[in-house]
Amino acid sequence: MNLISIEDLSVRFSTRSECIRAVETVNLDIARGDHVALIGESGCGKTVLGMAVMGLLPKNARIGGAVRYREHDILQAAEPDIQRIRGKEIAMIMQNSANTLNPVKTVGSQIAEPLLIHQILPAKAAHAEAVRLLAAMGFDEPERAAERYPHEFSGGMRERILVAIALACQPDIVIADEPTSGLDAGVKSQILVLIKQQMADRTLFLITHDMGTAYFLCTRIAVMYAGEIVEIGPTHDLLSMPMHPYTQGLLASLPSAGLHPIPGMSPSPAYLPEGCRFCARCPAATDRCSTRHPPLNDVSGTRQVRCFCYD
Amino acid sequence: MSRKIILWGSVAVLCAYIAIALCAPLLTPYSPTEITGAALQSPGTGHPLGTNDLGQDIFSQLVYGARITLLFGFCSALLAVLISTSVGIVIGYYGGLLDEIVSRAIDIFMPIPMFPLLIVLTAFFSPGVLQISLLMGILGSIYGIRIIRAQVLSIAQTNFVEGARAIGASDFHIMSRHILPNVMPVVMMKFVSSSQRMLVMGVGLSFIGLWDTTTVDWGTMIQNSYTSGGMALGLWWWLLPPGIAVIGISLALALIGYSFEEKFNPRVGVNRI
Amino acid sequence: MISGNYLAKRLCYSGAAFFVSVTITFFLLHLMPGDYITNYLLSLTNALPKETVMQFYHQFGLDLPLTEQYLLYISNILQGQWGYSYAYSVPVFSLIVEKLSWSLVLLIPATILGILIGTVLGARSGWKSGGKKDLALFNIMIAIRAIPEFWWAIMAVMVFAFYLKWFPLGGYTSISILTSGISIPDVLYHAVLPIALMTFFIATGNYYVMRNSMISVIGEEYITTARAKGLDERGILWNHALKNALLPMITITTFQFAAIIMGNVFIETVFSWPGIGLLTTEALRMRDLPLLEGIFLLDTFLSIAAMLVADVLSSLIDPRIRMGKDV
Repeated sequence: MNLISIEDLSVRFSTRSECIRAVETVNLDIARGDHVALIGESGCGKTVLGMAVMGLLPKNARIGGAVRYREHDILQAAEPDIQRIRGKEIAMIMQNSANTLNPVKTVGSQIAEPLLIHQILPAKAAHAEAVRLLAAMGFDEPERAAERYPHEFSGGMRERILVAIALACQPDIVIADEPTSGLDAGVKSQILVLIKQQMADRTLFLITHDMGTAYFLCTRIAVMYAGEIVEIGPTHDLLSMPMHPYTQGLLASLPSAGLHPIPGMSPSPAYLPEGCRFCARCPAATDRCSTRHPPLNDVSGTRQVRCFCYD
Repeated sequence: MSRKIILWGSVAVLCAYIAIALCAPLLTPYSPTEITGAALQSPGTGHPLGTNDLGQDIFSQLVYGARITLLFGFCSALLAVLISTSVGIVIGYYGGLLDEIVSRAIDIFMPIPMFPLLIVLTAFFSPGVLQISLLMGILGSIYGIRIIRAQVLSIAQTNFVEGARAIGASDFHIMSRHILPNVMPVVMMKFVSSSQRMLVMGVGLSFIGLWDTTTVDWGTMIQNSYTSGGMALGLWWWLLPPGIAVIGISLALALIGYSFEEKFNPRVGVNRI
Repeated sequence: MISGNYLAKRLCYSGAAFFVSVTITFFLLHLMPGDYITNYLLSLTNALPKETVMQFYHQFGLDLPLTEQYLLYISNILQGQWGYSYAYSVPVFSLIVEKLSWSLVLLIPATILGILIGTVLGARSGWKSGGKKDLALFNIMIAIRAIPEFWWAIMAVMVFAFYLKWFPLGGYTSISILTSGISIPDVLYHAVLPIALMTFFIATGNYYVMRNSMISVIGEEYITTARAKGLDERGILWNHALKNALLPMITITTFQFAAIIMGNVFIETVFSWPGIGLLTTEALRMRDLPLLEGIFLLDTFLSIAAMLVADVLSSLIDPRIRMGKDV
């Protein structure tokens, strides 16, 4: 049974001079227990997609399509209804930065907050639960840590706090937006191990640009380029046998593969080309690619590609 | 109403004021202090705004008075901005002991209120309008130094300054060619807002008699008409023109300042669509 | 709780500020042609018995070397001996204290009301920034602030007192004082217009700062985090936004308490209200240096005290400050 169904989702932003097509007809199903990664470079629209699933898009976004969660359409639901779901059933591990935590509130109170919002526990019990979560996240003196403020912790520890916040209400689905950005290599692996442990019985939707993270945490990968999904498949298959030229290029550009960068730059979301959006940088481009836009096709039961090479 | 219209309208108003001040002799045949007619005449031929209690032509006073009022405001703002920018850039760039000393000095001077000090110094030295404006500029620059310094610090950390050093650019070159242009937006904003504040303050200080009350500027005009009972007698043409003149330029400067601010801090949006 | 180190540092700066301002006043007094006392005494009478002159000399230490005079001056200041006013022939300190209490009659209600109104309106405006109400209010506030304070006062007197005759033209009391003494309702009646105007002006300043502060806070990432937890708009406002938005307000409002003394000058002058502001104007007219210096010192001390209070309050609210982190 699909927990989340993204159907034909499009998100556009209109400014006075241009129309930014951040996400274009994305279809993605996430089943219960799935660990799905959405890979793409900065600006490809993946964060917007993540925000859409949480219903956190800004007011000036023009949305098409639907995001179905248990038969609700999140995009059409009234705000109070979504608030009931957010944090409780669908939670987000925010991208860590100095400002993702409120600097004037203790860490403990911020972890306990979702429990209080959704009235799962009364104040004292919520605090106790926050302490328990901190211990589970690997903090040595969880009671003391709970009384501290965000600025007293290092980046890695703040990320653990963000994970604790996301898990506080035992959500069904966790969306993780670049959980290890800005962290040192050693700290990064610790956080990844922690997340993998905690996600064992949950559904994970990971948003990242890092292949390694996706490989470690997820069983299925969707590759996003210029607002569209260009390839979907099981992790192992996709990484050992990438089909879309962009995916191939991504893998080739890894240091371990010899660091061959993909020439050119991705198109601006305000001025997208006709035809295939990867065409200008694609080594396998044909005439057809520049004029006609390839659809996302099933190639085998588990794999989909958006490329005329596989027609 | 578009942001652009407001901005350009205000700039036009500002230019008009400056033009009027400069062209005063062309606009009126009388000198502002000359006694040219019967006292307290209402507006009529020869005296578009009537005369005051001494028989001086109010319109002439208005256009000549513009010179002092505008000069005061812009001079003090200019000096304040010059000082705070140069000091701010130098200490922000060099850092170290110089920065420490100057910053501590500013910390100490911050609580000392500028206007009472200005009044004390004026009472002591009895300077003229220009000197007072320079004094106000100096006193007013203190707060700005902090702001410019903060900007400079954030710029000096960026790599292009290191890059400039690497190709052998001198400190002065870096400060004037690299840092200054980046600080300019803040500087412009401060200049406009300071001009507005200091111009209005100048009128106020003149109103309470900070400098020679025989000088003709908008503050003394308001003071004269108010204390001589201009309003009690219902002589609106005596009291209102200088006040409205001040409001006009104050609004214009304020609007220019706000549209700058909006440009550089778009979230403070006033005219968001 | 509050790091003792931090407090000690702030006290040192305050002390230094105190010394700088007192030094300035000392030197100005000292630099006056003739000496301070002769000038004062001259204003009393031309011929004075030598003993009286010597007495004054002694009290102000004018026969001592400079450094000792300086120390004596400082100890005089601390004890409340602030010299004598030329124009009024009374001790500066007592004159200022008397006038200050009149100023406070206007200041206290106006400041409290002004801060409340300005902060509430500013928070509302900032929270819904860009909306119709916000834009309208914002533009109105710009217009209000662009018009000089004393002009608002003059216009208010013209319209409400002169033409409409709803309020008196000025002063703090009517002629009835001669027969029945000061009556509180009468004084309050005279105070309404000045207080209203001051409130008006203070509110606009607070409005602007609070609005900016609120707008900054809303854009912060921890607000998105709070939304992601499922918190509703009201919850976000009260639990996250307000505390952070109020921080800059503390510094600004405590500053206002101190800076008000000067802003008062215009309103008190226009309304002939016998407070420190009017005193300043009068003293300026008569170039009464000791009195002006006294007012300057008063304002400086209030300002220093205000900064200290602001520091303490800020460190109570923002843990980053009290732990000495550079904010």
